[in-house]
Amino acid sequence: MNGANNPRLVLTRAALWLVVGIAAVVAANRFLRGLGATTALTDATPWGLWIGFDVLAGVALAAGGFVIAATVYIFHLDRYHAVVRPAVLTAFLGYVAVVIGLLMDLGRPWNIWRPMFFWQPHSPLFEVAWCVMLYLTVLALEFAPVVFEGLSLERPLRLMRRLTLLLVITGIGLSTLHQSSLGTLFLLARDRLHPLWYSPILPLLFLVSAVALGVMMVTCESLASSWLFRRQPEWPLLDGLTRAAAVVCLLYITLRLGDLAWRHQLGHLFEGSWASALFVLELGISAVVPAFLFLLPAARKSHAAIATGAALGVGGLVLYRADVGGIAHLAAGGRHYVPALTEIVVSAGVVAAMALVFLFFVERFPVWEERPTIPDHFTPPMRDPVSRTFFGGPWFSRAHLGAAGLALGMVLGVALVEADAPSSASGWSRPVPAARTVQIREVKRNPTPGHQLELLTREQVAAGPDGVEAALLVGGGRDGRTVVFPHQAHQQRLGGPASCGHCHHRNLRHDRGTACTACHRDMYAVTDTFAHQTHVAALKGNASCARCHTAGKARTRALALACDDPACHGRDVSTTAVAINRSKLPPGFAPGYRRAMHTLCIGCHTRHEQKTGVTTPYLSRCTTCHRDRTVAPEPGVVALARLEVP
Amino acid sequence: MSHFAILTDVTRCIGCEACVEACQKTNGTGSDVPHRWQPDPNALSSSRWTTLAQTREGRFVRVHCRHCLDPSCVAACPVGAMRRTPEGAVVYDAEICMGCRYCMIACPFRMTRYEWSSAVPKVRKCILCYQKVMSGELEQPACTAACPSKATVFGEREALLAEARRRLAAEPARYIQHIWGEHEVGGTSVLYLSDVSLDEAGWPRTLGDRPRPRLAREVLGTVPWTFAGVAAACYGVHWTLERRRKVAAAEHPPEEDNGGER
Repeated sequence: MNGANNPRLVLTRAALWLVVGIAAVVAANRFLRGLGATTALTDATPWGLWIGFDVLAGVALAAGGFVIAATVYIFHLDRYHAVVRPAVLTAFLGYVAVVIGLLMDLGRPWNIWRPMFFWQPHSPLFEVAWCVMLYLTVLALEFAPVVFEGLSLERPLRLMRRLTLLLVITGIGLSTLHQSSLGTLFLLARDRLHPLWYSPILPLLFLVSAVALGVMMVTCESLASSWLFRRQPEWPLLDGLTRAAAVVCLLYITLRLGDLAWRHQLGHLFEGSWASALFVLELGISAVVPAFLFLLPAARKSHAAIATGAALGVGGLVLYRADVGGIAHLAAGGRHYVPALTEIVVSAGVVAAMALVFLFFVERFPVWEERPTIPDHFTPPMRDPVSRTFFGGPWFSRAHLGAAGLALGMVLGVALVEADAPSSASGWSRPVPAARTVQIREVKRNPTPGHQLELLTREQVAAGPDGVEAALLVGGGRDGRTVVFPHQAHQQRLGGPASCGHCHHRNLRHDRGTACTACHRDMYAVTDTFAHQTHVAALKGNASCARCHTAGKARTRALALACDDPACHGRDVSTTAVAINRSKLPPGFAPGYRRAMHTLCIGCHTRHEQKTGVTTPYLSRCTTCHRDRTVAPEPGVVALARLEVP
Repeated sequence: MSHFAILTDVTRCIGCEACVEACQKTNGTGSDVPHRWQPDPNALSSSRWTTLAQTREGRFVRVHCRHCLDPSCVAACPVGAMRRTPEGAVVYDAEICMGCRYCMIACPFRMTRYEWSSAVPKVRKCILCYQKVMSGELEQPACTAACPSKATVFGEREALLAEARRRLAAEPARYIQHIWGEHEVGGTSVLYLSDVSLDEAGWPRTLGDRPRPRLAREVLGTVPWTFAGVAAACYGVHWTLERRRKVAAAEHPPEEDNGGER
């Protein structure tokens, strides 16, 4: 039909295919490697963009469907009839996007059918699941007449027309429940959501914001399609829509600020924190600016002002959903969630795919009352449907352009996935520099005990000193520093060339280079008295290994410097004192672990190792020495250990 | 009926992490490897279902699932993968789980962890060694059995509460006179005694005594009525406007009047 020669449409479509291509590859990567490899989610922030945007905002963007359906079929404002079909189609596609986003985000999506049969009515998410399911069905039925009309199927069309009112009322009821139940979801997150966002009226706020979003989304769509299809904007319609949007926006602002005042949380607004800035930005672009633009007489006449207002409003309310869904969650330890590029790409891909489906329906089915304009010159058909003959088309059709976009997108997607996408956590995103070969020599230096390695320049090697060996300079710490790694020595110790696979091809996610600690795992032993991780952090990563592991041989704990080495804590630790500062503890208290070990570890190691024959690692366990010091059982407690179970 | 519980006395913990080691061995969790989402291998993670937090004063506080009496995770789960057993342990069934992670959002203590590195991930948290204790394989959870100083003990909740009160009364100067977990979020099966504030060691002041699921339960109870009310209101408005239009059409047959438009 039309659009074949509309460059705006063709290019838009190619761009959409490009995004879909990138997203498809990233999505495949997510299912192969898991959520950790594709998202920036952590245990502190388990929900992110896919819930906040794809699900929460997707549902809200779809709100145009029930708002317009109510306006036309319940309130009989017939002049809005022109936007019913596009609004219902948007809503349907919005819900399809929700389901796709959900499938991406669920850890075990193959169990998504379970809420249908295993009812858990106490769960807000159970209610959401049912509403999505039912409303998706209702929307499909509401949109069905358009398809039947397009395919000229008269009888089902008449049947559906008779059901319209029932469907519309069911749809409004379900939407009311559903929009608000997304707010109910976060009532359980009282301990997680920032007080500026957590509110007992979250269900109401979600419902009102959904109505505002629905109206502004329809405005946006109307403007976008008139731009895309080069039609005159429907002015009286836009006038009414913006007026309604302004009213709902003002109601929304009143509710949010009133709720803050009522809960005595207004103070948070002025604390100048990240959260308060986010709140002001979000409320500003979601409601204040749009309401202002829609109410200002001068701005109301301007195409651009209305478009700006509606787009800002949609963006701001989507941000509201994303904030509640993840961005405004209080992260333990001050870590905030910032979506990874891969996550953003997948969300964009879902939207782009839905936009493509939207364009497909708009061009082939009577979605707009006034059909898109027919191109003014005749394009010969490429295919005769009766004889099923293909006449051939232009050598580079718009289908070609779309396919090219998709292919290019997939290539970019592979590149993105390969570039190790979860880039939002600092450190892990930085690439590990490739190791390079250097010549080293061991030198003995006083007063530092053990050996030190000296890097030799090319001239020094040429001079031919003794004991030169090749080693690798490895930057596994990702901190810009490198550490000398005696590759040959490792190879020999692990059993010659057959042992390459020990370190290479270890297939570690996010980490192409195998970290020293991956092999020297005993440094992570759970009952290690020595806080290795703390020392690594304090001494700046792998570069520091040699500070303590100076023996020049295998870098195990057994061969490391003792804590009381003059180079380290020589002055802090007394090897003779058994327990210092005990007097500061109230009687009956066990000394803290660190305190105990700083006074005791060297003592035990020197006194007990020969005497008891206990090997070094086991000395790190308190009970190795204190076998006879376990606290006497309290009466009535330990006896309960094995319970009688009926 | 018996009710499993754990009492942890912070003043007795020497921080040896024997509980952590025993838990990891018993539950086969694997070792702690740092990840992007796990910068600190000593923190609670999918391979570390219990760990020790340190207070500013240097005390060690065990961190693991509190097994709430009215658990938010169970209320949140849309498929019933999180379940509170009659014995009070909150357990998890990975076969049913659809991986929505709503339990993680809902937990007021943030004790649930996820296997982010896996393509078939599970929610991970302390399950009180429920299956093993019930089958008789273990006398009591691995962590309490391993504790060398009996700082953390297993028993019946009522008996442990009585024991906690006995300790508070016997040595009033040694403790803050509060049993953490007796009333917080409606009561938990994991109880704590301490001589220092646990506000920043897993028991924030903001918790309160209200069970979290009640927050949503009140709203969810109104669902059928909301639906019926909205549907009835819609039909009522539709019927009224439709009738008004018909009456108007009968009175002024030629004029096309735009019904309820303002």
